[in-house]
Amino acid sequence: MKATVFFTFALMALPAFAWKENFSFETIPNPPGIDPQVGAMDTMKDGRIAVAFHRGEVMIYDPSSSSWSLFASGLHEPLGMLVEDDGSILVMQRPELTRLKDTDSDGSADEYETVFDDFGMSGNYHEFSYGPAKDSQGNLYIVLGVASNGAPMAEEIRGDFSEIGELDRKGMYDKGSWGKNKDKAGRMYSRVPYRGWVLKLSPDGSKVEPFASGFRSPNGIGFDAKGRLLITDNEGDWRPTSPLYEVKEGGFYGHPASLVWKKDWDGKDPLKMDVKEFDAMQQPAAGYFPQGELANSPTWPVVIPKGSFPEGFTSQTLIGEMNQPNLVRVLDDEVGGVFQTALVPVFDGSPLGIGSNRMAFGTDGSLYVGKTALSWPGDKGIMKIKWNGKPFLSLDGIKAVKSGFELRFSEPLDSATLATLAIESHKYKYHADYGSPKVDEKKMDVKSTKLSTDGLTLSVDIGGLKQGYLHHINMSGLRSKSGSKVLGSQAWYQAVKTPQ
Amino acid sequence: MEESSSYFYPIMKPIFFLAATVAIAPAAPDGKQLFTTNCSACHLLDEMVVGPSLAEIRSIYDGKPDNFVEWTIAPEKKRDGVIEMPSMVHVGEEGLRAIYAHVMNVSKGVKAKKQVEGDPYAASPTHNSYPQVQRMFMPNAGPAAIAISLDKSTSVCWDAGESRFRYAWTGGFIDAYPYWKGNGNEVAKVSGKTRYREDSSPLEMLGERKFLGYKIEAGLPVFRYTAGGLEITEKVSPAGEGESFTRTFTVTPAPTDKLTLDFPSAEEVTYTSDKGTWSKHLLMLNPSEATEFTVTFSLK
Repeated sequence: MKATVFFTFALMALPAFAWKENFSFETIPNPPGIDPQVGAMDTMKDGRIAVAFHRGEVMIYDPSSSSWSLFASGLHEPLGMLVEDDGSILVMQRPELTRLKDTDSDGSADEYETVFDDFGMSGNYHEFSYGPAKDSQGNLYIVLGVASNGAPMAEEIRGDFSEIGELDRKGMYDKGSWGKNKDKAGRMYSRVPYRGWVLKLSPDGSKVEPFASGFRSPNGIGFDAKGRLLITDNEGDWRPTSPLYEVKEGGFYGHPASLVWKKDWDGKDPLKMDVKEFDAMQQPAAGYFPQGELANSPTWPVVIPKGSFPEGFTSQTLIGEMNQPNLVRVLDDEVGGVFQTALVPVFDGSPLGIGSNRMAFGTDGSLYVGKTALSWPGDKGIMKIKWNGKPFLSLDGIKAVKSGFELRFSEPLDSATLATLAIESHKYKYHADYGSPKVDEKKMDVKSTKLSTDGLTLSVDIGGLKQGYLHHINMSGLRSKSGSKVLGSQAWYQAVKTPQ
Repeated sequence: MEESSSYFYPIMKPIFFLAATVAIAPAAPDGKQLFTTNCSACHLLDEMVVGPSLAEIRSIYDGKPDNFVEWTIAPEKKRDGVIEMPSMVHVGEEGLRAIYAHVMNVSKGVKAKKQVEGDPYAASPTHNSYPQVQRMFMPNAGPAAIAISLDKSTSVCWDAGESRFRYAWTGGFIDAYPYWKGNGNEVAKVSGKTRYREDSSPLEMLGERKFLGYKIEAGLPVFRYTAGGLEITEKVSPAGEGESFTRTFTVTPAPTDKLTLDFPSAEEVTYTSDKGTWSKHLLMLNPSEATEFTVTFSLK
């Protein structure tokens, strides 16, 4: 009898233990001769994929013939792209937001229209420009990285120079004395306008509004399915670990260098202010990517379309990652109107590899992952990932409740494995130093677990969540009734607010 | 329904545990985890990226853990074209020693890949065609510079930040590999000799300029910008390899008064134009001439 049950189970659903049993991973051919580091990607209406490369080419990949054609070239470090309804392509380059238009319909752009370039450039290598993200009214949002004291400014700059800071203009560009001066500049600096800011542009780019401040190296900006503006940033000074923010108008998001460009700023040097002042001003992160475990340098957010993953993933946000061999899935929650998330690895232990900088979904549901390194560890080229339609066990939702969590799974859990669930919590130190160790790291007492009658929802009582803490939920011991492991078996939930 | 698993396991839900919330005891530092968290963004096993490979680090620090700890706490700039490492003082000495042990362990017997000399994409088709437009950090220009090769031997730098021509050179185009390799930490090198330079726009007197972008005509950019209330287009074209180039301007609407363009009083170039009259380095155009005109720059 037992043997029969086993046999039947085996036929019905083989236990899944790895992503590669559910997805194919294929490297698509690179365009011949081109440096294939991907800076931006988007899907065109006809299903072709537009890709911008490190050295300034915009090329179109046709999946039906696996062939490439050149659309534009000569751009300056493109790091964001949006295909428009009429087929023109918005590209964010270091110096400007540009609209590439093919006015004579010969398949390549003949007009490079400057949509917006009214922001500063110090010539420092680290001043990358990202975007645009488009809201439901057609407004465009771009975000500007700050400079690194790994190098001085250039002698010639674009835009005004902020006099706020210990070093004067010459001190900021003098290469000879930079070695002894660099610490006075601040680890990351914003001496030209709106570095570290999100700028909101009217649909035609003619009106600009400084929208939010406090960013460092925000290599990811996009709207989620519910219309929230999400931005990822990178671990570093004032960034204890890489954060995920929901960005709202007027918000300050933690990195102080940008504050000198705030309207009516009183001229104080952020480097000389007390951390408490910034802490009181800053908006909390909606999620944290623990450094070295989930992500060291998270990248672009995209919304998962129906059919590309099992239904539980539909409309959730997927984020790339440069340094760890996985992508990151965002599980939304809201407590008292506050958006907060659990971040979960996707494709961990798969052939994905590192360097996942940009993503786009093909019209057939394929996920294209564009890789880059940009002189850091990473990769190059494009991986095409396709779901084979087979279901698997995954954590599909999380909800903070008074006693702990409600976890929603894609398949019924084996109740005998619930005792393996382990939860830890820690927080981080907000300070000018680079990164932060985990602070106040504690094992949480899992008082009880209760499975719903359908086996899909697990209530976990840990005696309440800890406000301001990142909760690490380890589900590696859980199994479905058919014996499958959870794919993406770790989750990190940031309790910005705890339910009352 | 969910009881099918009870074939194999006793029923145990809800499950109660006795453990109270406990602080995690500080364990011995995990060198591998500390390396992943603090070092892996810049150091690979067998290949130089931002910093040297672990194999190379081994060749420097094998048997010298104290020197390793010292360096990682107070690093200095050691290599040209390489960013200085940030201090790892926050890891603490014990942690740094654990990282050291990890690095020495994983790099044992590993040979560093030979650094590829030069640009692996030097033969890129987009960067070996002429004419060519490449936005780039350029020497002696603002950060929104644009390099244009007119033909194989004549190239110019145009500055989108200031909406003006910067300089022309002959002998080749640019070597942008220092920029691409260093992620923008170096400017491109001009290949050849600078032959002509402008320190301000010849249209300076019209007032503030604003860049609008460019069109591509037969591979060459036609820059668009406003100057005062006028819209200017400026197209740079080759005119005899290494010998001369032209700039064709259009002005819309037609100026109401005469227009004077002020070029530098340069020894190294002779100016001629299809319209207007010259007074030394000043080109004077009446309103109808100013709607479209071409200036030829013959290099000496």
